[in-house]
Amino acid sequence: MAAKLTNYYEQASKEFGVMGRMKLAMLTKISSEKAAIEADSPDNVKLFEQALFQLRKAA
Amino acid sequence: MKIATKLGLLFAGMIIVFILLGVTLLVQMKAVSNGYDALLASPVHDIDSARMVQVNFKKEVQEWKDTLLRGYNSKDLATYGKQFHEQEATVREGAVALAGTVQDGEAHKLLTQFIAADDAMSAKYQHAYEVFVAGGADFKSADALVRGQDRAPTDLFDKVVARLDARVQSTITAQQLSVRRNQALALGISGGLLLLLGALGIMTVRSIVKRLAELHAVSERLARADVAGLSIDISGKDEIGEFGESMKGVHAAIEELLQIAEAPAKAAA
Repeated sequence: MAAKLTNYYEQASKEFGVMGRMKLAMLTKISSEKAAIEADSPDNVKLFEQALFQLRKAA
Repeated sequence: MKIATKLGLLFAGMIIVFILLGVTLLVQMKAVSNGYDALLASPVHDIDSARMVQVNFKKEVQEWKDTLLRGYNSKDLATYGKQFHEQEATVREGAVALAGTVQDGEAHKLLTQFIAADDAMSAKYQHAYEVFVAGGADFKSADALVRGQDRAPTDLFDKVVARLDARVQSTITAQQLSVRRNQALALGISGGLLLLLGALGIMTVRSIVKRLAELHAVSERLARADVAGLSIDISGKDEIGEFGESMKGVHAAIEELLQIAEAPAKAAA
């Protein structure tokens, strides 16, 4: 289970709503459904970190 | 590699191939021209000189016969005697000059033999001329002294001409063979390069068109929001690959949107 990746989606939803989830999916190219089954690999974590950082920067 | 770079390289490759073809043709033309120049400079020049000597030798014998035939007249004797000696000198000069320039060993050997035979014949002709003059135009005695003496030099020089003529023919044949070989080589190289370039061009275009078709199919499904089971596998580091990567983002966003839209229904169930 990818608890960390799912957590990023929850974070994006909390901070930016539906648009945040969509943008996170667009930036990471991984939807929340797929994020739930993806591994919390260092590469994936880094990818989501950067995407969330971009969202926050653009807000 | 970017599509623009690929197409640019292909175009540059075509230009290089055509430049190489042009240079190859120029080099080949120069080689053919040099070959024929060499042919004209030596074998053709030699056979030309040899035929001149051959004709002059026949003129020399003719002048001798005119001297015997008309030498009873002192004026004719002076005229034909002079012409005979002039032709004699011309033949010797021509033969010696030819022996100095001819490159064929066998022809040179035959020419040396001819010059020796001609010298011997000249001495005999001179003696016969003196007998003819001293004997009051006694052509029978003079003719008896040199009868058949021109046959050996004539035969020798005929052999020189035949030898040089054969050399010209063999040089022309070798030159024609060389031209044909060069033509085949140039055709092979240029054809091979064009085929290689053509194959590379076809491969590049096919790769671009195939991946564009895949991209088109993906965009069609995304346009219909038909993302179930959709897998975007358009790799590459060119514009199409980058576009494919962007499509993956769009795909994920549409999936996310559909999940959000379907969430209330799933929760109610």
